[in-house]
Amino acid sequence: MNRIRIYAFSIVVLFVAVWLYLGYIQLIKGDDYRNLSEKNRLVIIPLTAPRGEILDRNDVPIADNRTWFDASIIYSDAKDVNEISDIVSKVTGAKKKEIAKKIIYARNRPFSPVTMVEDIDREQAILLEQYNFDYPGILVTTKPSRSYPYKKIASTIIGYLGMISESEFTRYRTYGYRMNDLVGKSGLEKEYESYLQGTKGGMQIEVDSLGRKKRILTIFEPLPGKNIKTTLDVRLQKYCDELMGNRKGSIICLDPQTGEVLTLVSKPNFDPAIFISPDKIKDLLHVLYNEEDNYPLLNRGISCSYPPGSVFKCVLATAALENGIIDEQDIFTCNGAYKVGRRYFHCWRESGHGEVSIAEAIKYSCNVFFYQLGLRVGVDEISKCASRFGFGEKTGIDLPGEIPGFVPTRQWKRDTFHEKWYPGDTANFSIGQGYLLVTPLQLVRMMAVIANNGNLVRPYIVKSIENLKIDSQKISKTDISPDALAIVKEGLKKVVNDARGTGMKARSSDVVISGKTGTAQNMLGKNHGWFSGFAPFDEPRICVVVFVEFGGKGGLEASILARKAIEKSKELGII
Amino acid sequence: MIGLKNQAEMRHLDLVILLCLVLVNLAGLIFLYSASSSLDEAKFQAIMSKQSMLMFIGFVLIFIILLIDYQRFIDSAYFLYVINLFLLVLVFFAGSKRLGAQRWLSLFGFTFQPSEFMKITLVLMLASYFGARKEHSKSTFLMIKGILLVLPAFLLVAVQPDLGTALMLLPILLGVLFIFGTDIKALLATAFLGILSTPIFWYLLKDYQRKRLLVFLNPNLDPLGAGYTITQSKIAVGSGGLFGKGWLSGTQNQLNFLPERHTDFVFSVVGEEWGFIGISVVLLLYLIIILRGVMIISQTRDIYGKLIAAGVVCWFTFQIIINVGMTIGILPVVGLTLPFISYGGSSLLVSMIAIGLLLNVGMRRPLF
Repeated sequence: MNRIRIYAFSIVVLFVAVWLYLGYIQLIKGDDYRNLSEKNRLVIIPLTAPRGEILDRNDVPIADNRTWFDASIIYSDAKDVNEISDIVSKVTGAKKKEIAKKIIYARNRPFSPVTMVEDIDREQAILLEQYNFDYPGILVTTKPSRSYPYKKIASTIIGYLGMISESEFTRYRTYGYRMNDLVGKSGLEKEYESYLQGTKGGMQIEVDSLGRKKRILTIFEPLPGKNIKTTLDVRLQKYCDELMGNRKGSIICLDPQTGEVLTLVSKPNFDPAIFISPDKIKDLLHVLYNEEDNYPLLNRGISCSYPPGSVFKCVLATAALENGIIDEQDIFTCNGAYKVGRRYFHCWRESGHGEVSIAEAIKYSCNVFFYQLGLRVGVDEISKCASRFGFGEKTGIDLPGEIPGFVPTRQWKRDTFHEKWYPGDTANFSIGQGYLLVTPLQLVRMMAVIANNGNLVRPYIVKSIENLKIDSQKISKTDISPDALAIVKEGLKKVVNDARGTGMKARSSDVVISGKTGTAQNMLGKNHGWFSGFAPFDEPRICVVVFVEFGGKGGLEASILARKAIEKSKELGII
Repeated sequence: MIGLKNQAEMRHLDLVILLCLVLVNLAGLIFLYSASSSLDEAKFQAIMSKQSMLMFIGFVLIFIILLIDYQRFIDSAYFLYVINLFLLVLVFFAGSKRLGAQRWLSLFGFTFQPSEFMKITLVLMLASYFGARKEHSKSTFLMIKGILLVLPAFLLVAVQPDLGTALMLLPILLGVLFIFGTDIKALLATAFLGILSTPIFWYLLKDYQRKRLLVFLNPNLDPLGAGYTITQSKIAVGSGGLFGKGWLSGTQNQLNFLPERHTDFVFSVVGEEWGFIGISVVLLLYLIIILRGVMIISQTRDIYGKLIAAGVVCWFTFQIIINVGMTIGILPVVGLTLPFISYGGSSLLVSMIAIGLLLNVGMRRPLF
């Protein structure tokens, strides 16, 4: 009898123990397990918002979104994997080996579509869709993707997208960014990231243990990013890009009255799409590491500075006229060389230009004239005047990566080299050589100051964001004397339009072009060629700078390119 | 041989057990419906129709068993034991393999597991053996002889491999010996020796069984492989809370996160969909059946009847506790069904027969 009691007691104890433990996990820990079970079944699928488009001044999209067609496979639906890889290879032209790799990957996620070949043509997509009936498992999936219809054209302005970096992620995460998001890395894509990026949506779905979608519980629609309208004219941009061909350098066209940037070409450039498509990784590596490509990511228009050469003579001429050191009629003699200290400084024309006035000196780009002028004006006044033309500081263009260039001063030389400023330094400075460094954008802006009679414009690229006109226009009146500028302008007209002017090659029968050539010596190799000018003469509507890295004499190539660019802008009705 | 001696015997039929049994079976069908509803349609219908048909057959079997005096079963116990051993051997040659184990045998168009039937045969055999030697109840030698008698059955089942069923043979032995009156010290010593010898069994275990044991000790060892079942089952039960998520609404169950949910892990479905209240009711029904079984042990004077009841009661207790314990991760996963609720023909019929025997003993206890 005793044993039966023990027996019954033990049984009750066992049952109660299990029952109590069940109470513990269901009642006390119940909420934790409920969370775990919810986590099991609920999956949040982020819905990416389409990125805002970037348009040119005529609403032509330069960066937009298009649907990408991918040849994909759902492994669990596939019957004969080999057959599928044959078909896909045949249709898309992709290597069978590559497809096989993707199929192996798909085996581990049998119920979700896995991309075999990315970004196939529409025709290929249609063809593959037809195979879907006979060969289940094949399907064409679509995804929105950034697209750059003009490829390389304007790439240095548009910039490119890339995977969000760790530092960007910590900075942006409060705005709803996630790991693996694409963000603007350079150009407008970077500068206007916060507008272009829309607001992500999301979809909460219920899945089974294999991750198959059972039903949609909630959807938050994504909000697309804002469209950005720029000042660019993509037709002119394209034309200028083609003009440059394989040359390195930059062409910038600016509206001298407003500061609107009509074109900003920097060569070499790159196709921004290579940063998005993993299939183009080879092109990407080429762009990043191949020295022959000469750093295509660099925007030579704003991120590199060079000696301006003779174009700078405009600044010195203005300074001299303003300070009354010289007037329109005053004459200097050029014998081909000029002695400064114990050294002879040569003119580019060995026989010399004889007696020249300031307008002629500009026309001939006479060095000797400007050596003498510079020494009279003095380094301090030249530096001051250069600053008033906007050199040595950023123009404030709405693009990332702009550099300020450099205007030397007496003080600077003492601080840096512990040397005094020699007259020879002034002579070099006078013809835009030596320590002076400018960006092509600064040089075109200088031309704008001359063209618009003394207004320093802020170059800008973005006109409006969606419907919101943004007030990028900023024009500051400089106190540069319009009379002085008028004389310089007259000289610039002669450069192009008079017989024996250095910029003769820029002469056009369509429109009166004025401007200044420049041939900048540099220690790295051949001379850089410059031409900076404006047109039409009476009512300037466009300023152009052409910079050809190691391009030789500015009077040749650079002038021709500038003329063609201006003629094209006339043809397009811009001026 | 067949027929009731008098109407009085029928009057002693334990109606409480019978009522609880009907309730557990009906609840089982409801649970099974939910557990298998997310399988494909054909499979779902096959499971439901087969299980309900076998339930009906089970109750018919109980009725037939009640008509036969349990002493008749004791008489043929050795014969049944030998036959069952023979069937176990036959499984090796003619059995069909499923899930890596050779457990099923097809005879006359019926597929069944001889190992399941060994439980009932063993109860009868042990009752018969020890019942005939009740004057030597304290003899350690007798106990050892009894253990040796069980050994062939244990080994044959264990090597199939069917660890769960093999282990279930031990509580039957334990229950019979305990009520028989075996010296407690000797029993404890034997149990101790048995535990000491487990390293030997480690070598006999199949890889997957070793893995299961290791994973039981630490489910995080392999959360997506062998530990997956334990983790998901625990989540299912725990997430049920007090009231459960409702019939057919268990997300763990319906969305297929629970493997083997209509067989060994059906209890997780009960826990998830019916909550603490549901599982309390189910456990209470089981406990009532078992405690009424203990009453039958105490009220039966006949040693044979006592031992049959003792074996059945101990077996059910352990099978239920171990099954529930493994679904909530406090005991290793050994592959045991939850009686009357888990899907499985052999298990269901054998459980029904066992209850039939228990009722038989209770009904025929000599009146005093």
